[in-house]
Amino acid sequence: MNPDRAKPDVLVIDDEPQIRRLLRLTLSDAGYTVREAATGQAGLDEIARHSPDAIILDLGLPDLSGVEVLKRLREKSAMPVLILSVLGQEDRKVAALDAGADDYLTKPFGDGELLARLRAQLRRIKPAVATNTFCFGALEVDLTHRRVLKAGRPVKLTAMEYALLMLFITHRDKALTHRLILRELWGPHAERQTHYLRTYMLRLRRKLEDDLDAPQFFQTESGIGYRFVSAPPNSAPSSEA
Amino acid sequence: MSAANVISQTPAGVEPGTPPVRALAVVVAAIAAVTLVGYVVPLGFEAIGYIYLFTVIALSLCVGHWLALVAAVLSVLTWDYAFVPPRLSFFILHFDDVLVLGTYSITALVASQLIVRIRALQREREQLLTASERLHRTLLDSVSHELKTPLAVLQSATAKLADGDPARRILLATEIRAATLRLDQLVTNLLDQTRLESGALRPHLDWCDAHDLIAVARRSVAEALEGREVRLDLPADLPLFRGDAALLEQVLANLMLNAARHTPPECFVRVAAGAARGRIFITVADNGPGLPPEIVADPFQRFRRGPDACTGGIGLGLSIVRGFVVAQGGEVTAANNPEGGACFTVYLPLISPARVPDDES
Repeated sequence: MNPDRAKPDVLVIDDEPQIRRLLRLTLSDAGYTVREAATGQAGLDEIARHSPDAIILDLGLPDLSGVEVLKRLREKSAMPVLILSVLGQEDRKVAALDAGADDYLTKPFGDGELLARLRAQLRRIKPAVATNTFCFGALEVDLTHRRVLKAGRPVKLTAMEYALLMLFITHRDKALTHRLILRELWGPHAERQTHYLRTYMLRLRRKLEDDLDAPQFFQTESGIGYRFVSAPPNSAPSSEA
Repeated sequence: MSAANVISQTPAGVEPGTPPVRALAVVVAAIAAVTLVGYVVPLGFEAIGYIYLFTVIALSLCVGHWLALVAAVLSVLTWDYAFVPPRLSFFILHFDDVLVLGTYSITALVASQLIVRIRALQREREQLLTASERLHRTLLDSVSHELKTPLAVLQSATAKLADGDPARRILLATEIRAATLRLDQLVTNLLDQTRLESGALRPHLDWCDAHDLIAVARRSVAEALEGREVRLDLPADLPLFRGDAALLEQVLANLMLNAARHTPPECFVRVAAGAARGRIFITVADNGPGLPPEIVADPFQRFRRGPDACTGGIGLGLSIVRGFVVAQGGEVTAANNPEGGACFTVYLPLISPARVPDDES
C-alpha cells in the first residue's frame, strides 16, 4: 500500500448488486476508492490487474467458494481481507479465517461497525514505526524489557500469558481462531485442547481487564476464537509511541 | 386470537359429552325395553339374544368405555335370567345353551369395547386435525403480521425520506432501524426453529467459560437492555464446562431479551451462575410481574405467548431456548420467584477438563 495516497482502495466482491451499491455509498462517503466484482473470478482478475489496499469478500459467491478465493489471492499477497457471512455459518467462517482472512462481519451489520473494522485492518498493516512500546488505552507493553503496565502499575505475567499477549498484539484487531492460537502457543498436537485457551484467556483477562464480565481488549468471537481490540471504544485511543 | 388458546383447546379425554348418570339410565332403559319386547312378542330365546346383542352394539356407539361394559354384562345377566331355559333363573338346563350364552357374552363384550375404542380414536383424530388447522392459521396470521408490520414501516418511512422534510429524517431513520432490528430478530428465530425441527442442529461441544458466554450475550442484546440495571452474581472461580458456545450465547441472549421485553423499564435483570451437584447452572431472573399463571407450568411450548404479551414476537424465543439446551444434553426450568419476577435456569452437566499445562513456576 502506498502510505502517501489519500484514498485507500477497497475491492468489494459480492454477488448481490444491492449490497455492492450500499457498500459503495458507505465506503466512498468515508473517503475510500471503491471497486466492485460480482464473482470470485472477476474479483481475482481485478486483484491481478491492480492490487487493492483491502478486500471485502462475501462467503456465498456463485462461482468460487470464499475459501477458494482466499487461497488463490493469498498465494500472491497479504492485503487485509474482511469477509461477510450470515448467521449459522461458523464453520465456514473458521475455514475462511484459517485460510487467511483477517476479520469477518455477520450480515446484517451496521455501517459504523464495517468502517471501524476496515480502519483497524488498514491501521494494522501500516508500516511499523521502529517501536518497542505499545499503548492500548490503559495498557502499556514494553517489548524490550518484557514489561506490562496497567494504568501505570506493573502486571506480572507468566511466560505463557506473555506469549499469548504477544500473539494478540502481533495480530491486533484480527479475529484469531482457537486452532491458530493453540497451534502457535502449545504446538500442533494441542489444536483441539480449547480448555488450555479458555483457562489462559480467563487468567489474562483477570490480570489486564478492568471488568472480567465486560472485557474491553480481549473479545470473544462466538464459536470462532478471540480478537484483541487495540482501540476499545470506551478507552483513550491507542497510540504507538 | 393467541396461539395459547388453540393449544388449551386440544382434547382432554375421549369420553363423549353425555353426563354418566343420564347415560347409565339410557343403558338400563334400553335393556329393560328389550326384556319387555321379549316377554310380549313370542320369540325363541336365541332370537331375543340377537336383539340384546344388537342393542349393546347400538349403545356402544354412543356411550363410553365403562357404560358399554355395563350394557354388555347387564344384557348377559338379564337374558340368562329372563329367557335362557329355565326362565326366571340364572341356572342353565342344557349344555348347548351354556355354549350359546358363552359365545354371546364374548361377542357382546368384544364388539362393544372395540366399537367404543374406534369411536374414541376417530374423535381424537378429528379434534387434533381441527386444532392443527387452527394452529397453522394462527401461525400464518402472526408470522405475516410480524413480517408485514416492519415492512410497512420501512416502505412508508423510505417514501417519506425521499420527498420529506429534512428535519424529520432522524426520526424516520430511527423507525427504519427499529423495523429492521425487529425483522432481523424474527428471521433469526424462524431460522433457528426450522433448524431445530428439521434435525439439522448439530451442537459443537467444546469447553465453555460462563463469564465469557454471559459477556458476549450481554453485548449482543446491549441495545434492548439499554438503561436497564443488569445485576451479575458470578463467582470468580467458575469451572469450565462442555457446551456449544454459539448456541448458549443465543439461549442467554433470548432469556435476557425476554426479561427486558416483559418487564417495565425500571425492573432489573439478574444473571447468576454457579456449580452444584455435578451441574453448572446459569440463571436469568427479573423482578417484574412474573410469568402469567396460564403459562408458568410450561412456557417453552412453541407459539406460546402470555395473554398480555406485548406486540413483537410470535412465541418462538423460549421454544428455541429449550431446543438448544436439550440438544446439548442440558435442561432448562422456568418458575416465578417467591419474592416476585420470572426466573429461568439453564443446567448443563459438569465435566472437569483435563489438566492445563502450568507455567506459574
